[in-house]
Parts: sequence; structure tokens; C-alpha cells
Amino acid sequence: MIKRASIFLLLAQLAMMATPPDAFAQAAEEVPDFDALHHSANAYYLDFAPFPHVELPRIFVVQHQDGSYGLELFRSTTSAIVNGHFTVDQSAVEHGAPKEEGAAEHATPDAESHDADSTTVVAEQDAPVVADHSESAGAEVSLKDIESHLLAPAGSHVVLDLSISRHLFFAWLSMALVLFLMTRLAGMYKRGIGRDTAPKGLFQNFFETIIMFVRDEIARPNLGAKTDKYLPYLLTAFFFILVSNFLGLVPYGATATSSLMITTVLAVFTFVITQLGGTKDYWGHIFWPPGVPAFVKPILIPVEIMGIFTKPIALAIRLFANMTAGHLVILSLIGFIFSFAKMFGPGVGYAVAPVSVAFALFVYLLEILVSLIQAYVFTMLSALFISMAIQEHDHAHDDSHEVAHHSSPVSGSSEVASAV
Amino acid sequence: MIVLAVDLLAPDAGLIIWVGITFLALLLLLKKFAWGPILSAMTTREETIHASLSQAEKALAEAKQLQSDNNKARRDAEVHSQAILREARDEAERIRTEEVDKTRVQIKQLQDSAQAEIEREKENALNSLRNEVADLAIRAAEKILRENLDADRQKKIVDNFLGDLSKN
Repeated sequence: MIKRASIFLLLAQLAMMATPPDAFAQAAEEVPDFDALHHSANAYYLDFAPFPHVELPRIFVVQHQDGSYGLELFRSTTSAIVNGHFTVDQSAVEHGAPKEEGAAEHATPDAESHDADSTTVVAEQDAPVVADHSESAGAEVSLKDIESHLLAPAGSHVVLDLSISRHLFFAWLSMALVLFLMTRLAGMYKRGIGRDTAPKGLFQNFFETIIMFVRDEIARPNLGAKTDKYLPYLLTAFFFILVSNFLGLVPYGATATSSLMITTVLAVFTFVITQLGGTKDYWGHIFWPPGVPAFVKPILIPVEIMGIFTKPIALAIRLFANMTAGHLVILSLIGFIFSFAKMFGPGVGYAVAPVSVAFALFVYLLEILVSLIQAYVFTMLSALFISMAIQEHDHAHDDSHEVAHHSSPVSGSSEVASAV
Repeated sequence: MIVLAVDLLAPDAGLIIWVGITFLALLLLLKKFAWGPILSAMTTREETIHASLSQAEKALAEAKQLQSDNNKARRDAEVHSQAILREARDEAERIRTEEVDKTRVQIKQLQDSAQAEIEREKENALNSLRNEVADLAIRAAEKILRENLDADRQKKIVDNFLGDLSKN
């Protein structure tokens, strides 16, 4: 998506530059705004630039004025605004802008006018949402409106926004892909290929290698005899993350795993499975850490309890940050072209373009590596956390040794975390 | 210009709910329809390979055992045959020597008996010759006695007799 989008943006810019700019200021204004965050963030449409974008369905759970709940379904955001009389939440846009560092520095007259515009809207918002606003929005719904949060019509408010967003769409796409590929693979094994004979063909060999890697290199060393119990989850998480990561590197694709919400859900799965598998020893280590003097225990117990939660939080943030960071770097590198063009004129923009694109390509290749590594790291750490919870300690040996034994996987995992 | 149109960290309960439900569904579906068959098939295959390998190893060991047994049996048989051969040769030698001895003894016996026969025949011949000579002497003496006329005559008679004798 990134590469293709950048090329199209470049082409768009070229087309614009073909008309000779009569003044520097005008040329600067004609350079399109390029927002890296905007491309990484979630939205309610699929970007097929330069072709028209495809809006995704909007689903709202709405509480009406009389207190009753209702489900509102719309084919698209446009439909929600035009037919459902939903309005764009301008305050979200307004509050977001000043927080961004350097926004003022890069501010253009266009942005200022936009900001001014939004403040006026906010000023009006004290009154119940005005009907004429929805009428004016109904005439023309911009992409910015589609990205924004929507407010329910006057008198009711959105309780839950179940809309199909871009990240959700791509999460489902990768789930569907994994399901399709793996059931096809299972079909081959059911027919006896790979069970009674050697695995046949690139498809089966390729995926079997990965499955065996997850089983023998990730699950078995950590989980030992309980591998079979947790392997389905580890495999599912691994393939879902891997496919999601790769979908973000495909033209017009988006990375579902660059959504903190989705990585949080994955981390919650690991968290729940870890706690459900927790043995008496695991809880004992948390609520009555062995091998330390009694007066240290009150300090250690809260730390241990925090440790339960920091592990999945780290999992979620690591995956999210890694998958977002790569895209942001690529988009920022492409963004340099536009920033330079805007600041120093189009010529500089052209000069910067080859360098930016070369660096972006390098980062893109790096992202392929990161996609694999992050799928591995998430699965590896999940297996590690589960193994720490399901461990049955042998209390025959002395406490100091046990403490060392207990802390070693933790330090190991934090090492991995800091390395990645 | 940077506008944070959509906050990257914005909480989104709808997304969490959707992904939570669908990921759980994916996990259960894959567990039932994909991981189950795939992993069990892989385990089955690994067990088969493992069993085959150990079986092959066992077969190889058996074959080696068999070969060494065969070698041992062959060597034993060779030793045995050598022994038999040697025994046979010894036996043959013994029999030959025995036969030779027996033959020699027989020849000796035959020789002895022949010698004895010869001696006996010689004795017999001498006896009969002696008798004959005695007879002849008697008969010559008789003739001399009958015709003892003169010396000439006597001489003539003896000559005749002797002539007869040589004729006989």
C-alpha cells in the first residue's frame, strides 16, 4: 500500500507540477498535504487511490432520547450522514491537532483556516446539533468526514460503534486467508498426503515447515509435555499476526496488527490462557514469593501482581509499535519529498525523491523481516509466559536456587523485548 | 502540516469486540478443522518414521546377526569337513597299512607254505630217488650176480646198465 500510494502521490504531484507555477506561494499551496499518521491510522474506507475509495459499512448501537437502545446499520459513512443524519464529531479533529508537536511550525494558511473553521463548529456545538449542518454535509462528504467519529442525530448518542473499519476489514481478511489456507492444508493431510506419505508440493512443504518451526522451536522448548494443549493457540496467533503483517506490505493493504486494539485483543488471549493455566506454584510465587525475607514480601507482592499485567501489555504495545513504526518511517521518508517541495520549492522535492524512495525501499525490506520477527516474538513470548504459569516447581532444592531459576525466564524475556 | 485526523491510540470498543469474537471463532475453527488434523497427521507420520527406523535398525541388527551366524556355521562346517577329511585320510592310510601288512603276512605265509611244500617235495623226490637208486643198485647187483662170468662180461653188463641208466 505504502509504496504504491507513494508512487501515485508522486505521479499526482508530477501532474500538478506540469503546469508551471507562477508564484512560489501558489506552488507551495498546490503540494498536497501528506500525513503519515493518517495512512497508518484506522478509517472507515478502503483506499484505492487514485481510484475511488470504497466506504465500509457503519454499525452503531444508539441510545435514543427516551432511553431505549437501537441498532443502526448503514451501507457507508456517507449513507450514515445523509440518510441517518449522523454528524461529524469536529471536536475530535480539533483536539487532535494542537497536541501534535511541530504542528504550528508546519501550519499553512489552509490548516489555520481549517482550525478556525472547526472552532466555529465547536462553538456551535453547545446548542443541539443543528439540522442545517447535516444538510450541508449531505451535499458533499469528504474523506476527512469518513475518518472522523460520528455523532448520532440530535437527542440520541452512540453507545457502541461496531462499524467495520479498515483495520477490522484487514483483520478479517487475514483470518479468512489463514482459515482458507489451513483448512486446505488440513484437507491434504486428511487425504493421507503428508500422513502416510511425504508432504507433497511447495504449498504443503512451506506451511509444514512453519508449523513445525512453531511446534519444535517455540512451543516445545517452553511448554514441554503440555505443548499439545497450547499449540493450537500459538499457531493461530502466529499465522494471524504473520498474515496481518504481510497484508500491510501489499499494495492497498493495511496492517491490522498496527492497531493497538487488535494487538490488545491478542495479548488478552495470551493473558487469559496464561492465568487459566496457572498452577498453585505460579500463584504461590506471586502472592507469597519464596526465598526472600518476610519484610521484602510486601514490596515484592505488588511487583509480582503488576508483573501479571505488564507482560500482556508489553506484548500488545510491542507488536503495535513495531508494525506502526515501520510504516510511519516509510511514510515519513516519502513525506520528506512533499515537505521539501513545500518548504524550498518543487525542484528540491524532485531532488529528494530518489533518496527518499531508496530509503523507503530499504525500510520496506526491513519491514518484511520485522513482520516475521514480530510474529515469532509474540508467539515465543506467549509460549514463555504460559510456560512460566504452568510450571510445577520442584521444592526439593533450596530456595536461592529456585529464585534464580524463577527469575531467569523473566530476564530472558525482557532481554528479548529490549532487543526487539 | 500535520493533522492528527484519527488518533493512533484511540480506544475503539467496537473493534475490540469484533476482533475478540472473530479471533476466538478463528481459534476454535482452526483447532477443529485445521490444527487437529494437521498436527495429528504430522505426529502419526513422525511415529511411523520413528517406528520404521527402529524396525529397520532391528532388521539390520538381525541381518548382521544372521550373517555372523552364517559365517560361524560356515567356518564350523569347514573345520568339520577338514576334520572329516583328515579322519578319512587317516582311516584310509590305516586301512592301507593294515592291508599291506595283511598282504605281506599272507605272502609270507604263502612263501612259507610254498617253501615247506618245496622242501617236502624235495624230500619226497630224494626219498623216491634214494629208493630208486637202491632198487637200481639191487637190480644191477642182481644182474651182475646172474651174469658173473668174466670180467669182460661183467664190465659189459655194467656199461650196459649205465647206458640204460643214462637213457632213462
